[in-house]
Amino acid sequence: MLGKDLLGLRRLGVEEITEILDTAAHFRAVSERRIKKVPTLRGRTVVTLFFENSTRTRMSFDLAAKRLSADTLGFSASTSSTKKGETLMDTARNIDAMKPDAIIIRHPCSGAPHMLARAFPWTVINAGDGINEHPSQALLDMLTMRDHLGDLAGRTVAIVGDVYHSRVARSNIFGLRKLGASVVLAGPGTMCRPELEQLGVRVRHRIDDVLEEADVVMMLRIQRERLEPGAMSTAREYSRFYGLDLARLRQARPGILVMHPGPINRGVELSPEVADGSQSVIMEQVTNGVAVRMALLYLLLGGDPLPAGADHAVA
Amino acid sequence: MLLLRQGRVVCPSTGVDRVLDVRVLDGQIAEIGVDLAAGDARVVDCAGYALLPAFVDLVADLADPGTTWREDLRSGSLAAAAGGFATVLASPATDPVVDSGAIAQGLVDASHDLPGARVQRVGALTVGLLGQELTEMGSMLAAGCVAIGDGGRTVSDAAMLHNALSYARPFGGVVLLRPGQRALEARGCMHEGQTSVQLGLRGIPAAAEEIGIAMVIALVRATKARVHLTHVTTAVGAELLARAKDAGLSLTASVPARSLVLSDTAVSDSGYDSVTRLLPPLRPEQDRLAVCAAVVSGVIDSVCSDHTPWTRVEKELEFERAQPGAVGLETAFSATFTALDGDLPRVARALAVSPAAVLGRTARIVVGDVADLALVDPGFQGPCAPPVQSRSSNEPLVGHALRGRVLATVVSGRLIAAI
Repeated sequence: MLGKDLLGLRRLGVEEITEILDTAAHFRAVSERRIKKVPTLRGRTVVTLFFENSTRTRMSFDLAAKRLSADTLGFSASTSSTKKGETLMDTARNIDAMKPDAIIIRHPCSGAPHMLARAFPWTVINAGDGINEHPSQALLDMLTMRDHLGDLAGRTVAIVGDVYHSRVARSNIFGLRKLGASVVLAGPGTMCRPELEQLGVRVRHRIDDVLEEADVVMMLRIQRERLEPGAMSTAREYSRFYGLDLARLRQARPGILVMHPGPINRGVELSPEVADGSQSVIMEQVTNGVAVRMALLYLLLGGDPLPAGADHAVA
Repeated sequence: MLLLRQGRVVCPSTGVDRVLDVRVLDGQIAEIGVDLAAGDARVVDCAGYALLPAFVDLVADLADPGTTWREDLRSGSLAAAAGGFATVLASPATDPVVDSGAIAQGLVDASHDLPGARVQRVGALTVGLLGQELTEMGSMLAAGCVAIGDGGRTVSDAAMLHNALSYARPFGGVVLLRPGQRALEARGCMHEGQTSVQLGLRGIPAAAEEIGIAMVIALVRATKARVHLTHVTTAVGAELLARAKDAGLSLTASVPARSLVLSDTAVSDSGYDSVTRLLPPLRPEQDRLAVCAAVVSGVIDSVCSDHTPWTRVEKELEFERAQPGAVGLETAFSATFTALDGDLPRVARALAVSPAAVLGRTARIVVGDVADLALVDPGFQGPCAPPVQSRSSNEPLVGHALRGRVLATVVSGRLIAAI
């Protein structure tokens, strides 16, 4: 059973991860119907508190909450009191006074969701904190992999690019390792540092070093907004050693899945032909995102785990 | 008049370590012996406790003038006395910065007649602590500053530091330097290593401190300046220091007391609580152990409080946005005593004798000397309590199992109870 919050996958167990993925698989049906709504969370209030830009994640959480009939309320830093100098804790105290049930937070600082989770009684869902974790993204990634590969134990996932600054990569590493998959990283020395091996992964360098053995290749965006000055050479050089194009894809295992958490820098880490090609499951990732977030809200806000095959929560 | 009866007198300078009575008269130690007559003196029963030379702190930010909601001279002086310190050096990182003769004169004059420990002033090494221009070091020392240094700021520019040390040397004051490398430190908010990788917090490589120490060593060799390194917290740093000392350089060093008992896992244990954000950051266990060993061997001769008070305003923030630093005056003894496994002579050396020597002074329990004494209870054990006297409460040691506590401090013959 999940606890009060979902702050990351680092401290989650295999059973909890599997429970979330199984529940998400059930919830996918809701989004396929003409009336895409179930009454499960009627009367509950879910606040999205985003201190960084987001298209996918925010819409996805918002839709997930709405499809479960929760009331949602959005807060973005650009239009809020944060601009007037209010601290995160004071913003949270004010939201607390309005009696929310859950807060979904994205924040540029690692550990910001943990600070709120410690201080307040409501559920906190981490929608990305600094360079730390983005658990719902990793869960939807793992659901997508599971759809295609079945059990992930023994599979190899290559993560390529700016791993050091990627919360998506870190959450995937924690989650995939727990599910028994092996993870191999590639990327520039400034973004793919040897100390990452302490997370139980192998660190290689060029994309060519990892493609051959991978069942899945997850391409990451260069996080320019998080990069220290002087940590990158040119985009041309990046593309040459760490980018994925059709020629490289032909060297990979047949049937390899190409994933990307978005937004894509076309022509840098992914050539357009690969991004839109037959191996790409990028749009499936987005679809699964809504289901995973419905599962998270359902499980964290007091839903019982669904018995295998049962459909009562989605009826 | 004061008679401290039957305490274990521990004075490393004279080698005395036995139960004795100590009579204090007119601010001085008047008599030491067995079964001294009380007369009309106030008698303090010290049986079961220990009397050490009072501690001397080389590194404390007392925030006064400028940010007195964090600390002021009075609260800082009381916090120091509550921690067994009779003397505390106040960092020049105030507002205004202590970087001219005139400012120093005013502050030295304002630092008299405080209720606790005596507060002495450090003058800045560079104007505004900006690492670009030399201050009026000579005038500040003449005004009563007892050392020169940029507080917690590091001077990372080798040419500037070369100039500053060359200029400081003939004035004779010791220069206090925190070894570091600004650009590397600006990159992160905790020690870069296994814990930072696990937590997804940006790391400061240990190289920042190692580069700083190596640079200072090279420049001390070049300029012959007398330097005290204020924060040696890494195994490699201690090793570099040991070699420099072996080579006969005039270099001494201290470590913050908390770094002897806390390691960087305190950041994960606290769940990203900014109270554990420090500069230099808490280090991994193997560094902590190496630094403890360096204090035992005397390579790191002194222990400091590195008292850096911040209130909720500066600390109740996201980890990487919170100000680095922690208070420490009231816990330095217990942390040191715990880390040195109850070895009182070593504790007295690290907290009193060595830092006093850095300032060219003695810290002894000898007839005729100024009566600066710390009365401690070595038998006490318990979770570290929150600070009482400081105006700030950012103490990462709270709740940590520590041994020993300070019961009272005698400052120039004046007894100040600590509990």
